Amino acid sequence: MKIYDMLIMCLRNLWRRKGRTLLTVIGVVIGSCAVIVMISLGLGMSQAMDNMMETWGDLTAVTIYNGGGGGMYYADGGMSTQSSDKDKPKLNDEALAMLSSIDHVSYIIPKMEVPAEMVTVVSGKNDRYKLTWANIVGVDLLILDKMKYTAEQGEMPTAKNKDSALVFGSEIAYQFMDTKKHGSAAFTYKQQLPDGSWSKPFIETVGGTIKIAINNSKKQNEDGSYQYGGKGYEYKFTGTTVLQQDPLWETPNSLLIDIEAAKKIISDYNRLNNVKNAGNPEYSQVKLSVDSINNVEAVHKAVEELGFNAVSMAKERNEMQGQLGVIQMVLGGLAAISLLVAAISITNTMIMSIYERTKEIGIMKVLGCFIGNIRIIFLMEAGLIGLLGGIIGTIISFIISAVMNSLGSSGLSDMFGIYTEGGGQVSIIPVWLVLLALVFSTVIGLISGFYPANRAVRISALEAIRNE
Amino acid sequence: MAFIEVKNLRKVYKLGNEKVYALRKIDLEIEKGEICCILGTSGSGKSTLLNMLAGLEKPTRGDIIINGTNISKLSEKKLARFRQENTGFIFQSYNLINQYNALENVGMPLMFKGVPPSKRDRQAEKMLKLVGLESRKKHRPNQMSGGQQQRVGIARAFVAKPNVVFADEPTGNLDTKTTDDVMRLMVRMCRKYGITLILVTHDLEIADYADRIVHITDGEVTGIEDHVSSYDPEKDNEAGASEKNAETERSAEKNDPGQTEKK
Repeated sequence: MKIYDMLIMCLRNLWRRKGRTLLTVIGVVIGSCAVIVMISLGLGMSQAMDNMMETWGDLTAVTIYNGGGGGMYYADGGMSTQSSDKDKPKLNDEALAMLSSIDHVSYIIPKMEVPAEMVTVVSGKNDRYKLTWANIVGVDLLILDKMKYTAEQGEMPTAKNKDSALVFGSEIAYQFMDTKKHGSAAFTYKQQLPDGSWSKPFIETVGGTIKIAINNSKKQNEDGSYQYGGKGYEYKFTGTTVLQQDPLWETPNSLLIDIEAAKKIISDYNRLNNVKNAGNPEYSQVKLSVDSINNVEAVHKAVEELGFNAVSMAKERNEMQGQLGVIQMVLGGLAAISLLVAAISITNTMIMSIYERTKEIGIMKVLGCFIGNIRIIFLMEAGLIGLLGGIIGTIISFIISAVMNSLGSSGLSDMFGIYTEGGGQVSIIPVWLVLLALVFSTVIGLISGFYPANRAVRISALEAIRNE
Repeated sequence: MAFIEVKNLRKVYKLGNEKVYALRKIDLEIEKGEICCILGTSGSGKSTLLNMLAGLEKPTRGDIIINGTNISKLSEKKLARFRQENTGFIFQSYNLINQYNALENVGMPLMFKGVPPSKRDRQAEKMLKLVGLESRKKHRPNQMSGGQQQRVGIARAFVAKPNVVFADEPTGNLDTKTTDDVMRLMVRMCRKYGITLILVTHDLEIADYADRIVHITDGEVTGIEDHVSSYDPEKDNEAGASEKNAETERSAEKNDPGQTEKK
């Protein structure tokens, strides 16, 4: 028997019992709808959670902070927090090589802070403007884009100018004070002017020249500041960029220079002030970017095994995902029950239909129909009921999902105890969920049809045709 | 070797602890193209014999060899294939499927063989023409009289050009006039195609159409008589004109290679 003959036979049988077919299909529709909507809600929650956590920090990052926040650079020595735990590995170039060879780490972003007491940052004529707190961070200036920083003014540094380039955080330009003035006149504040533009700092940012001078720790001024190291210990940088405020507030109060320049400043300082045993310069912070959010935990573990203190969102995320998982399982379980009921109703419908068609099955057998074909016909009918229910269920689910999303995060997400920040979707139906629903409902149909089909196959042809 | 050989056939039913001997010991040979009537009263075991000949029931003991195949030893699947290729059925209660029209009912054995729809319909239509129901091909069984339904049943039995057609009281539900029509039709079809017909009945008048009459009483063959039918299709002037037309078509059919196609 040809496949299309069997298919046509199935369709005719389903059509012949329209009412009953419809009712059974509705059962599957409700079941598959429930499953799709529940899973889509779970996905929506999970997405909302990730969105929320992203505002706390980069989810794919594992960040290593150097134990003492650069404390070992103190001029008088001995104050290094590292001294208390000497077995701790140092966050130096060697460590960088090890870290970057960890699986699933796509790239690493080392940062080297230049401790504020090492340098004095000045600008303008006769060094008139002085930075109150010199927070200088050395990074690879060429990957600022990759670190998701964006320029507010000027251009990002390029390979050509990075050695002398200076990138301003969004606030730091306002922290230069005028040494010729006193009181509030000596300071500027970042504020929006009535015409919408920002107030101007004392110094020129993009294109301006900024001098970073290394302090001589032995020569202290009266006001507590140090004298400059003098010739050979002063560097001139050109401002290239002012960054937009980043969501994690990492940059606003920093001056970014190239990491090589930062290393040079630190080693010059150590030389000028005779700091001994400084060793290789250590990084203040290394951020590992992980290729996938699912590998963050593994990378975090690997980093800790190397002996570093790492911070990532993996643990928090796992905990929250775990709680979400429980909610999702409860929702999914409820949905599965309705699908189970649908499955039973398919079986019931098929058994009824076999009772009605006993004679027909008998005639088919006597006329030489293979029992395999009879089995296929009944399985196909059950499978078609499942598939049809799945298709209609998917369509209805999309409607329900759209309605829930348009009702928005306000009502529904509160109901399920989650927050969606700014336009998050309550219910998400990805393509794989649609395919899964269709396959699943068809398989449910086939499984439900298995027992009835076997019954049909076992019907005795002789009994059936005698049956009047 | 005869076309159909029945050797030492027995069938025993168990009803509780009691054994009921439906067939005690049957030996029978039927030649190709023969019209054989199995005649017996109700409960004589004649239907059981037919069912076993058709492979619908397994014998308790003994062999049934049709066209060289021992069908009592075939698996369910091979039996189905055997039925597709060798047998046709005509039932007392017609056993047409009500949801299908006449054309589809006739084409059904071909469908099981895997013949594609267009060819199936063509052959079924020819068959309906032969039984004189061409105008009724779109009618459903419940829209037809008993005689018409049985004609559809006959068309269905012969459509796949089987080697043997089994008929179980084919006229049991028909009146005398229609009975004659139906019987003559069956005989004509068998003669034309050289098909063996095995007919089960309790009606002596129907037995008159047979070449051989096998009497069965209480599960035993009590007599086999050769018989010359008083009906000769060659001299039948009543045979419908449609049949004559179909005759010429059939000779054309022989040149159609698709006709012999099996699944």
